Amino acid sequence: MISLTSPVRTRAHDWPAPFKLFALAVATFVLFLVNDLWLMGAALAVTLGLYALPGAVFFKAGIRRLKVLWPFLVILGVWHLVTATYEEGAQIILRLLAAVGLANLVTMTTALNEMIEVIRWLATPLRRFGLHTRALELAIALVIRILPTLVDNGTRLSDAWRARSRRRPGWRVVVPFTLLALDDADHLAEALRARGGFLE
Amino acid sequence: MERNVVLIALFAALIAALGLVPKLTLGSGIPITAQSMGIMLCGTVLGAKRGALAVLLFVVLVAAGLPLLAGGRGGLGVFTTPWAGFYFGFPIAAFVAGYVMEKWTSGNVSVIAGVAAVIGGIGALYLVAVPYYMVMKPAGLGEAILTAMVPFMPGDLIKAVLAGLITGALYKARPSSVLSRTNAA
Amino acid sequence: MAKVSQIDIRDLSYTIEDKQILDGMSLSLAEQRVGVVGRNGSGKSTFARLVAGLVAPTKGTIRVNDLNLAKDRRAAMGEVGILFQNPEHQIIFPTVGEEIAFGLQQQGASKSAATEAMLDILDQFSLSHWKEAYIATLSQGQKHLVTLMSVVAMKPALLVLDEPFAGLDIPTKAQMKRYLNLYEGSLLHITHDPGDLEAYDSIIWIDQGRIQNVGSKEEVFPVYLEAMNRLGEHDDLADLSG
Repeated sequence: MISLTSPVRTRAHDWPAPFKLFALAVATFVLFLVNDLWLMGAALAVTLGLYALPGAVFFKAGIRRLKVLWPFLVILGVWHLVTATYEEGAQIILRLLAAVGLANLVTMTTALNEMIEVIRWLATPLRRFGLHTRALELAIALVIRILPTLVDNGTRLSDAWRARSRRRPGWRVVVPFTLLALDDADHLAEALRARGGFLE
Repeated sequence: MERNVVLIALFAALIAALGLVPKLTLGSGIPITAQSMGIMLCGTVLGAKRGALAVLLFVVLVAAGLPLLAGGRGGLGVFTTPWAGFYFGFPIAAFVAGYVMEKWTSGNVSVIAGVAAVIGGIGALYLVAVPYYMVMKPAGLGEAILTAMVPFMPGDLIKAVLAGLITGALYKARPSSVLSRTNAA
Repeated sequence: MAKVSQIDIRDLSYTIEDKQILDGMSLSLAEQRVGVVGRNGSGKSTFARLVAGLVAPTKGTIRVNDLNLAKDRRAAMGEVGILFQNPEHQIIFPTVGEEIAFGLQQQGASKSAATEAMLDILDQFSLSHWKEAYIATLSQGQKHLVTLMSVVAMKPALLVLDEPFAGLDIPTKAQMKRYLNLYEGSLLHITHDPGDLEAYDSIIWIDQGRIQNVGSKEEVFPVYLEAMNRLGEHDDLADLSG
């Protein structure tokens, strides 16, 4: 399973994940308090500067992840053009880019298992309300394990469809897809039970 | 217990898979990503509690940095746009859809599931997403409806209808597969 | 180890949604290598799941080494392991290392002890480089091997094999067979193919949910094969049951 962590090793990869997340929370909060076009522009410039520090490969990967925001930027742009609120629009777009940019930066420099460790830590108080943290851990592993199988199943069903139809697969294919997945669920539940399940 | 954990994980993966498989095509040739339909299906098929937990697990994994959203998106950046209310609203949407399924026990499953998908996957979802947008952007109600609701509404309505039809077809093929119908967990 | 497992079955019946899968089986066995043969749908797999304690009988009792494994899951961990036919149905974790370590942790080993034992077993199979490998990138035969290693690592007294060779190519099958022959505990091997059971002491033939015959392979196989070949000439695939 490919995670969004950058393979380009940066110094930030070694910082503890809780620290990065806390810093991100503070920075995002400040971004939402600031109401000044120039400050916002500076914030985005600093963010882009951070992307540039580890080198060109990292920078380009980061920009690629910001590019997917374009439909949202179009919606914002059109609204503020139509309502002639140019300065406000510019500020909101800059804030969006800076906030998303910083958040992506944390994701790119933090390994998946560190994030999962944080999630587990955050979930610990929920034990009191009956949340089974071991079950949570297992469920996370299961998702990563099952996903490639599901995608295979989906591709196989699409192929089977196309082998007998000139059209692309329609929504009906979701039905056998789900039934197949439910069968797998029964088997996996049994496999879990075969090796002890949740004993405690 | 084992079965519930596996089902929750499985449906979380199913939402992701629906965003990854080649796009489905409607009769008219419009391609749609099936991901938000996956949210609705979690509710209509698994029921309120398990459905909401499956969606929550999915959202948590996206936040942790797995590229599970349609188009391979994911990570924390997804949660810092004014539209992030949708992602926070997803588990609630599944819960409400599942709740409607569980309470409304007599009648045609496709119709009930379709209505449940509309109430949960559209009604409850926008009740979270629109106010979130108003606060976070910030924007007025009119702007929020125009820029956070109108662009997605047609697709969501189609997906709710499909979620209803799929749930009905699942029930017909194998009644025990629609867990919101067979047993309350 | 080399402990022989004792299986005691009395009046065992199993029904799913009013469909009788197994009907009135009684049996007492203590052999190192036991084979179970029968046709598709004869109830062999259900039998395997009952022996492993994954499901409890609808009627009657089943005890392995004098334990009720469906009830006592904690004891079951050391007593019995099961290898499923389809690795996709067995593998829970994304990587080989996690998959093997899981069962050991379930047996009560600490995280570090489980990791150590996991590395040991990989080493025994000369596959240390598989530790971080993602299951999704493995071939079908390699996945089979992972399931085998995960179960063998737990060292169960009785290892239940449910059609472990179905769909395997010849070299993979030969390798799996070799590993299994070396297994110190008892084996209960379910298959439709007598060829898989050359090294087995005792054979149970199950047909339509009942025990048709129990005995040495010299006693059971000739009658079994004759019956199977006779059926092959008929057209009973067309029959719908239940």
